[in-house]
Amino acid sequence: MTGKKLLLQALKENGVQYIFGYTGGAIMPIFDEMDKMGDFHFVMSRHEQGAAFMAQGVSRASLSSNTPQIGVCMTTSGPGAMNLATGIADAHMDSVPIVAITGQVTTGVIATDAFQESDVIGVMMPICKQTYMPLAAEEVEVTVHEAFYVATTGRGGPIVIDIPKDVQNQSVSSEYSFDTKNFRPTLPGFYYHPTPEREPLRRAIEMINRSLRPVLFCGHGVINSNSGALLQQFAEKVNIPIAFTLHGLSALPADHPLSLGMMGMHGTVEANRTIMEADLLISFGMRFDDRVTGRLSEYAQHADVIHVEIDPSEIDKNVACSVAINADVYRTLHVLLGDPMLTFKPRRRWFEKIDGFRQVMAEDLRREIDGGVGDNGRLLMKSIIHRLSELTEGKDLIVPDVGMHQMMAARFYNYQTTNSWFASGGAGTMGASLPMAIGVKLARPAERVWSISGDGGFQMNIQELGTIMEQQLDVKIILLNNGHLGMVRQWQTLFFDGRYAGTPMQSPNFGLIAEAYNIPYRKVDKPEEVASALQQAIEHQGPIMLEFICDASEVILPMIPSDGGFNDMIVKRPKRKKPPATSDGKGEKS
Amino acid sequence: MNRRAILVFMLDRPGVLNKVSMLIRKKMYNVDTLTVCSSRVAGISRMTITLQEDDQAKVTQIIKQLEKFTEVISAKELDTDHSYWREVAIVKLEVDSAHLESFRGRYNFEVLDQKGGDIHILQVAGATGRIDTFLDEVGRQYIIEIARTGVTALEK
Repeated sequence: MTGKKLLLQALKENGVQYIFGYTGGAIMPIFDEMDKMGDFHFVMSRHEQGAAFMAQGVSRASLSSNTPQIGVCMTTSGPGAMNLATGIADAHMDSVPIVAITGQVTTGVIATDAFQESDVIGVMMPICKQTYMPLAAEEVEVTVHEAFYVATTGRGGPIVIDIPKDVQNQSVSSEYSFDTKNFRPTLPGFYYHPTPEREPLRRAIEMINRSLRPVLFCGHGVINSNSGALLQQFAEKVNIPIAFTLHGLSALPADHPLSLGMMGMHGTVEANRTIMEADLLISFGMRFDDRVTGRLSEYAQHADVIHVEIDPSEIDKNVACSVAINADVYRTLHVLLGDPMLTFKPRRRWFEKIDGFRQVMAEDLRREIDGGVGDNGRLLMKSIIHRLSELTEGKDLIVPDVGMHQMMAARFYNYQTTNSWFASGGAGTMGASLPMAIGVKLARPAERVWSISGDGGFQMNIQELGTIMEQQLDVKIILLNNGHLGMVRQWQTLFFDGRYAGTPMQSPNFGLIAEAYNIPYRKVDKPEEVASALQQAIEHQGPIMLEFICDASEVILPMIPSDGGFNDMIVKRPKRKKPPATSDGKGEKS
Repeated sequence: MNRRAILVFMLDRPGVLNKVSMLIRKKMYNVDTLTVCSSRVAGISRMTITLQEDDQAKVTQIIKQLEKFTEVISAKELDTDHSYWREVAIVKLEVDSAHLESFRGRYNFEVLDQKGGDIHILQVAGATGRIDTFLDEVGRQYIIEIARTGVTALEK
């Protein structure tokens, strides 16, 4: 038995079906063995970064399902491994368990600057949950099983296994044996607390019952522990509104009467104002990231905080809490729901106030959505997303890229399906959507998957159109093309006096690109064609690309400036003071 | 700035030291001292890190993040009231013997070597401050070379 066989066998034992990757000198033995075994569906990405995001797609889409799978990507040494780094750092920021397997030069030449040698462990260590380098065939199996255990235990995260080529080919000694069934990793310091302790729960219940202006926070942990339905029950039982983090979206139906929508920098007015005036934040599975809190000194000044979180290092990191519950969200909600002390409160004045917040921007947004175009007659992203939401009844799987269109997709799609929103959040990696959508589609083949990108991010991993073509994956691609890096442009409009440095962008003829990849394509620049184009994509079997020509001056509001507090929330587009001065004038014309 | 000592027990695996030092760098600290040695239990190392920080919340955050590493078994802060912090210095001095002998009794040092009359190599052990005072009193201008181990600590 060789290292390569043991590795693949261990992947199989951990339920791996898909391997995403790109071959090369130092990983060839494993690829060869994989081909001989025929047990895996191999998907060749067109760039290694794509493989990491495809693996993320599988993990993100399946982990809360009945058939969870860990995404696996596999590349060669040196540049192959380095190209994975962004996708791995992204998974680390968003707590997504994936396993990356990288070939390494043979042990005899490690640290000699051999051809395609990079210090993979050294590079990956700070951007993943754990790294391994098995140095003998006997270490391979235990390493892979431990890797899957660590990736999925407690807060999820990416694992890198760097395996030298000679170890791949090496045979184990005749005495070697490994008991997969009874395997438990020897990690005396690696533990987590799934079960909440009684005392903080008791105090939490007291505070919840006492609170006049409470708000619930739904974070990524709610999705990861498959607790959306429980959170909904809990919210209904105690009658408390719910605000969502970016990764908490789709944990429960977005149009639930208690839902305030997304919180934070581009969150809704109702979520942010509610948080500002709240006397109690009850947060489940989230980490008070800076895009959620704004300036910390001004954040939720009147509120006590109950923080339910699986990762103890997140508790008191950014926001100090009154009650810390270091436990699994599902188990905590389960215990809370069974507690007879919890009481329903009408909180009429609180909800009246919140209804007032809901009205602040409602009319402006409705006008934009109904109008469908900006002052220059070009399409508005929010209107397109809203229409997509209507036509799909909010039931489809949405994989946005990063930028303005992402915030539009977060805000204006009416999520009805549990775990149907897959976004690069913490790292904010442009180019994530197209490859991630491939993984999502493979993990959830029966559901419709939309990859929504801007013209900037789309071109960062545009080569994965080749993967979609080759795999004939039914991914619906929406390209919201405004000729700019829209989110940065918005900051330039608001904070840089309209100087559009480095944001206008010339793009290729996307129709010809789609044609080259044999993907049907339709360009839409009139509001009356939006619905029919979306309908065409819905009805089409197989991949299709829709390009919408959008208004570059559209903004996503409200916005809390990155160094500002909730009091600085911008809800109205400021009047333009002077024409923006760009060297080529492109900024103004668009 | 307050000097803090953090004691960490961890699996003796390659790369752990790398991880710990990277975390401290990521948190924007400059390590004062860092010592690693084997513990009572085979396969488990103990590390003592000292750094400067006044904010208790930040120290707690480092400790929590250290505990997150799969290899780390425990991490905690030690304070001077409830633990001993000690280090060893080896000092090469050019100083006459009579001057040095005047400190005997007050300081615990050992002469490891003496050559060419005035060249002494001393070993002095104790708390960081105590070693500093000894060197100040003897006269730092006489020091040719000095090596210090950095702090290791043990709870009372």
